Amino acid sequence: MKKKVLTVDDSRTIRNMLLVTLNNAGFETIQAEDGVEGLEVLEGCNPDVIVTDINMPRLDGFGFIEGVRRNEKYRAIPILVLTTESDAEKKNRARQAGATGWIVKPFDPAKLIDAIERVTA
Amino acid sequence: MDMNEIKEIFFQECEEQLAELESGLLKLNDGDRDPETVNAVFRAVHSIKGGAGAFGLDDLVSFAHVFETTLDCVRSNKLEPNQDVLKVMLKSADVLADLVTCSRDGGSVEDSRTRGLVKELEALAKGEMPSGGAAEAPKPAAAAAPAAVAPTDDSGFQPIPFSFDDDFGSDDAGKTMFEVTFKPRRDLYSKGNEAALLLRDLSRLGEMSINCDTDALPALEAMDPEETYFSWTISISTEKTEQDIRAVFEFAEWDCDLEVNEIAAEAAEELPMVPVPFDLSALDDEPAAAPAPAAEAPADTKMAAAAARVEKKEAAAAPAAAAANNAAAAANAAGQTIRVDLDRVDRLINLVGELVINQAMLSQSVVENDTNGTSAVNMGLEELQQLTREIQDSVMAIRAQPVKPVFQRMSRIVREVADMVGKSIRLVTEGENTEVDKTVIDKIAEPLTHMIRNAVDHGIESPEKREAAGKDPEGTIKLSAKHRSGRILIELIDDGGGINRERVRQKAIDNDLISPDANLSDEEIDNLIFAPGFSTADKISDISGRGVGMDVVKRSIQALGGRISISSRPGLGSTFTMSLPLTLAVLDGMVVTVAGQTLVVPLTAIVETLQPEASAIHSFGATQRLISIRNSFCPLVDVGRILNFRSTQANPVEGVALLVESEGGGQRALMVDAIQGQRQVVIKSLEANYTHVPGIAAATILGDGRVALILDVDAVVGASRGQSMKQDGGALKADVSLAAAG
Amino acid sequence: MASKKADKGSLKLVPVLDLNEASVLHGQLTNMRGEDVKIDASEVERVGVQCVQVILAAAKTWEADKKNFVFEKVSEAFEKTMQLIGIDIDHLLAKEIRQ
Repeated sequence: MKKKVLTVDDSRTIRNMLLVTLNNAGFETIQAEDGVEGLEVLEGCNPDVIVTDINMPRLDGFGFIEGVRRNEKYRAIPILVLTTESDAEKKNRARQAGATGWIVKPFDPAKLIDAIERVTA
Repeated sequence: MDMNEIKEIFFQECEEQLAELESGLLKLNDGDRDPETVNAVFRAVHSIKGGAGAFGLDDLVSFAHVFETTLDCVRSNKLEPNQDVLKVMLKSADVLADLVTCSRDGGSVEDSRTRGLVKELEALAKGEMPSGGAAEAPKPAAAAAPAAVAPTDDSGFQPIPFSFDDDFGSDDAGKTMFEVTFKPRRDLYSKGNEAALLLRDLSRLGEMSINCDTDALPALEAMDPEETYFSWTISISTEKTEQDIRAVFEFAEWDCDLEVNEIAAEAAEELPMVPVPFDLSALDDEPAAAPAPAAEAPADTKMAAAAARVEKKEAAAAPAAAAANNAAAAANAAGQTIRVDLDRVDRLINLVGELVINQAMLSQSVVENDTNGTSAVNMGLEELQQLTREIQDSVMAIRAQPVKPVFQRMSRIVREVADMVGKSIRLVTEGENTEVDKTVIDKIAEPLTHMIRNAVDHGIESPEKREAAGKDPEGTIKLSAKHRSGRILIELIDDGGGINRERVRQKAIDNDLISPDANLSDEEIDNLIFAPGFSTADKISDISGRGVGMDVVKRSIQALGGRISISSRPGLGSTFTMSLPLTLAVLDGMVVTVAGQTLVVPLTAIVETLQPEASAIHSFGATQRLISIRNSFCPLVDVGRILNFRSTQANPVEGVALLVESEGGGQRALMVDAIQGQRQVVIKSLEANYTHVPGIAAATILGDGRVALILDVDAVVGASRGQSMKQDGGALKADVSLAAAG
Repeated sequence: MASKKADKGSLKLVPVLDLNEASVLHGQLTNMRGEDVKIDASEVERVGVQCVQVILAAAKTWEADKKNFVFEKVSEAFEKTMQLIGIDIDHLLAKEIRQ
């Protein structure tokens, strides 16, 4: 069975990269453009793992992660955050919000797949 | 989709983000302090950086990074975005835009420009005010802020300092034995990590024996199912380093107690442990493991060294406030949009154009065959006509775009040119959301750019002069757009010195445009700046010039079916008014007959139509004829003759004269044989389907199926001038003098 | 949902035993206290440590109660995970499936 990944990112460029990378690696991919849409899409798609950006309009990554963790049904889903190398503060805030792990940008397909493999069975 | 396509998407997105960035910065410049504005600006740069990183566009990444860092200071209220700060930011936005362009099209941005700005941005991030910022003293708070606002909860994310200098003595096989103790905390699981997966990844590093300490596990009723009771002691023989082992626990290291120690091989063998096969897929063949009584894990084998022990206090308070704010902002979510390839829209517009023509043809043939005009077919056709019109309007609306992006480009030009000439100017835009067909938008940028440059360079006075005149040393240029009677009206208003009529008049005389004794109204003098040959290349600075005068601006506006005029008040400034059609796909035209041919004359060019009286026609020179209209003379141009439809001039009295405004500002009377009527026609490019024909702008298909040519009024007037007079300048001179004489 | 109670004293574990299922499983087993229990883990695809904790706590409790707590069937994934995390359930396996 294909693993299902929900990606949340407001950048069209990154969304497309995620889509291509994940599809090539044999994942089923569902995409949302910001935290609000991410929480909407989450209902009913029950992903194996979530990959989210931090800086997004409407509801940012921190708020989105908290939203997922508050959700009785989906709180156990591993969440990976797309973040930048140097930004320890963001990483920490993401962890406090409930992120499982992170993928350091710049976007690298191998790193993404590796991180997903690490947090999923 | 391949990487090249994604890259294309990236550059498209950059354009949007750059527009977002600029409009956000301009809002901040106007005093907007909405946190969402700052966030949007930050996101724009962050997003460009993210995509650029993925494509290895290093120049772009490194500049965006510095920019982003400084913006982050604004976002976290460490840096007050005052005018001086924003000046640096706006310049940075310009450089960022240039870097994007260079990444896409090749070329490079001047190194000194980038480096200078990087320094300025870094200084701002450090809390230093811009060097040029004399007007506003740096707030002491801004400089002191970074320390005060530094996150208090950051103790948890410093990299764990473990030494890589240690020489891990390896055995003969190149393998080292490590003992790992791992005790997860509750948060490890609630954050979606799973001890079983971490142990799985660890087992992939080498040969591993594991002992699970289950002692802490209470009886069923006493336990909290989500608490953590198990902990592990693992010995692993691996070629990897301590760093590699710790990397397995990277995501979990704050939510567990972890010790990794190198141990002697013999010590490990004493541990009563369950060996875990390296290759888990071979698990089926593995003999049942020896029982591992949990209680027996000997504490004394644990290595004393606990240098790298990870012990973190969880800051449990979730940063919910920011999230709540963002959720509130979600209320004003943007309307839903889809992206459509422009080609598809163009094709649709073309097809609808065909439909309109087809519908007109059908109507006409039905009318011809339906004598009483009341049949059901006829009524149905009326509805069809209505529907067709509506479809056409709706389809045109798809391609309609706000003028905002063009206006935004102008603010950059104002900044750059003002900087170059040492003036301080703010651009105020209004009606940026006014929509107009994309084909028009694409074509107004250039004339508008030129006019803006001109306004900054010539319109607005130097700060000293302005102060001397009792004005605000900072000049204002206002750019506005609005719809008016089916056209778009763009106004460019400056509060500069206005047209210096004495100088313009003198220059016109010097350039042989008017005779020294011509008696011109103020308006006529002002409009001389549009005359061909008014501004000459050698006299123009490289800023507004490039050797191009306002005549070129006027011509390109007219080529779009638009008009431009100026009104000026000495000492108070000038207003340029442009009126443009909303689309270039359809045109309101006057259908006329010339020598048996049907032609369409754009309605916008026609000032009035008249039936010439024999007494009003005067001969002038060998071939030139003039018509007197309300006591002024106007050259008469026989369209049939100019287009070579006939070899001799027609008798003006038998035809109709269309009074048109020509590019030189003067008027011409175009002679045609008869007027058939007015109608909207769909423009078909002649160049795309045939070839360029002098004097003809395009073609259209009429209701009866005949092709009609659309007259290029400017070209016809230009040709008439070349034919009848020696030089262009002379023509205008003649115009003006005649007008004066009348 | 962590398990389906086919008949009295037997418990069939669901395929995914994650964080959420730990509480469910805990409640299920608590209700079965005092009876002999047969666990069917043949359909388990994924099992997290927290569910393992619940199962082992139950096994301990049953042992104290002098009641039987037996795995009737186990899936390969279940067995693999147990081995990976160093938990020996050999003594809990039904005689028929012991190797």
